[in-house]
Amino acid sequence: MKIRFILNGETKVIDVEADRRVIDVIREDLGLTGTKEACGRGECGSCTILVDGSPKLSCLMLAAQLEGREIITIEGIKKDSDMHPIQEAFIKHGAVQCGFCTPGMVLVSFDLLKRNKKPSRDEIREAISGNLCRCTGYQKIVDAIEAAAKREL
Amino acid sequence: MRLPSFNYLEPITLTDALNLMEEYHGRAQPLAGGTELLPRMKLGLTHPTYLMSLKEIHELKGIKSNKNELYIGGMTSLREIFLSTLLQQKFLAISEAAGSVAAPPLRNMGTIAGNLCQDTRCFFYNQSYFWRRGLKPCFKAGGNVCYAVPGSKKCFSVYQGDLAPALIAFNAKVRIEKKGSSRIIPIEELFSGKGEKPIVIADDELLTQVIVPIPEGIYGSSYRKFRLRNALDYPLVSAAAFLAIDSEKKVKSVKVVLGAAGPAPVIVKEAEDILKGKKVEESAINEIAEAAYKRAQMVDNLGLPASYRKKMVRVFTKRAIENAFNSIK
Ligand SMILES: Cc1cc2nc3c(=O)[nH]c(=O)nc-3n(C[C@H](O)[C@H](O)[C@H](O)COP(=O)(O)OP(=O)(O)OC[C@H]3O[C@@H](n4cnc5c(N)ncnc54)[C@H](O)[C@@H]3O)c2cc1C
Ligand code: SF4
Ligand code: FES
Ligand code: FES
Repeated sequence: MKIRFILNGETKVIDVEADRRVIDVIREDLGLTGTKEACGRGECGSCTILVDGSPKLSCLMLAAQLEGREIITIEGIKKDSDMHPIQEAFIKHGAVQCGFCTPGMVLVSFDLLKRNKKPSRDEIREAISGNLCRCTGYQKIVDAIEAAAKREL
Repeated sequence: MRLPSFNYLEPITLTDALNLMEEYHGRAQPLAGGTELLPRMKLGLTHPTYLMSLKEIHELKGIKSNKNELYIGGMTSLREIFLSTLLQQKFLAISEAAGSVAAPPLRNMGTIAGNLCQDTRCFFYNQSYFWRRGLKPCFKAGGNVCYAVPGSKKCFSVYQGDLAPALIAFNAKVRIEKKGSSRIIPIEELFSGKGEKPIVIADDELLTQVIVPIPEGIYGSSYRKFRLRNALDYPLVSAAAFLAIDSEKKVKSVKVVLGAAGPAPVIVKEAEDILKGKKVEESAINEIAEAAYKRAQMVDNLGLPASYRKKMVRVFTKRAIENAFNSIK
């Protein structure tokens, strides 16, 4: 079936099988490999994308459901050619080790900071509570998001 | 993990959806947020020929109310229910239950209808095809053994939905529609109590709306959930409590409902007799907790031993009642 949607600001019209998942379409058909698949069953958040602005899991979405939506992946949040301040804060605060969880973490933070300019550490923890990280122990991720929030003000 | 193949249907009105369900003779499985169904499909536990997405049916979304009742469309997201100020003010337990499901991205996707209609779960069943291949199918998979309770004649899989206990505590009802007809039933009647097939809704029916009567007078409510991690996990035990009092702080009505304590939500019927007409005191709360403990049916088929989960029934029943009482303004 033919679907039309906006991906990182660009309109895409593609032909997909109904049973393909969004993560497969993004990574394989469209070549954007920033979005990661880990568990494939909703338990880790590494495949998070923004659908009409809110974080959703691309491993549990069907390609057909992209029709008419606006999608932002990790490739789509940079400003011009610079990294987004959240990404810079992640690097500066050592919030990235293997990096597999990072795209999802950055996208949920992006959504949080859009809704809440001054989140408390608890609010940050709540926002990233669906995203598992096996490396950092989360403290540095929370530090990075807190720092990014301050910088954005 | 890929999905098995299926055909995709996407009606844009409720009438179209109900027509399709009839046309496909019950083989068109509703797909709401997909957060429960798609993981089951990936494990090979179900193989729908047609998936009918309800996402584009806008008439099924949103929260409305009048003087007497609250109406939640079946396709309303858990996030919207959690964040609704009306629910936070008047139906705290329902908002708390919605906010306790999984994690934020899953609450953006998951819906109330999907939450209510979710299947029961068991450690020996919710596993990959590869894992299960080594064993003969159990009752729930159409066979005739149970691995959780060897020798038993039935399935003990657990209903772990968070919304149902809170909604039952508020005496909520659901509207169920099929082509040409519509019926309204109390939510507890949605559950068969049988692990093999826990949800009583026909293949050509849709759950379209949740209806909650707005209680009168002074009341409070609460939903307490026991789990290992504070996010992502299904309940290992949960308790919802509703408590209405009169001006002398004597209990006018009370309802306590357990989650994850059997194949269906469990209503602790003793609560009314124990508390009605009395003040909320520790001894009465303990008595209800004891009745809840006796009603909970637990076997070793979830993350923690049954004996431990059963002990937690007392703890969480007490917390739910105390919190409900403390939430009264
Ligand atoms: C990691 C993870 C953690 C989770 N944790 C929890 C938890 O803590 N608590 C909890 O309650 N759930 C949990 N869930 C399950 C699920 O996310 C939620 O229950 C969610 O609300 C299901 O809604 P949905 O819209 O995604 O349902 P779907 O997956 O779309 O549907 C679920 C079932 O309901 C049927 N259905 C859907 N809509 C209708 C309708 N209108 N009429 C008739 N049948 C219908 C479907 O056919 C399917 O059988 C978890 C899931 C994951 C992946
Ligand atoms: S309780 Fe027994 S029959 Fe039911 S799913 Fe578990 S192993 Fe199978
Ligand atoms: S890969 Fe989607 S949640 Fe883990
Ligand atoms: S940095 Fe490795 S999983 Fe988070």
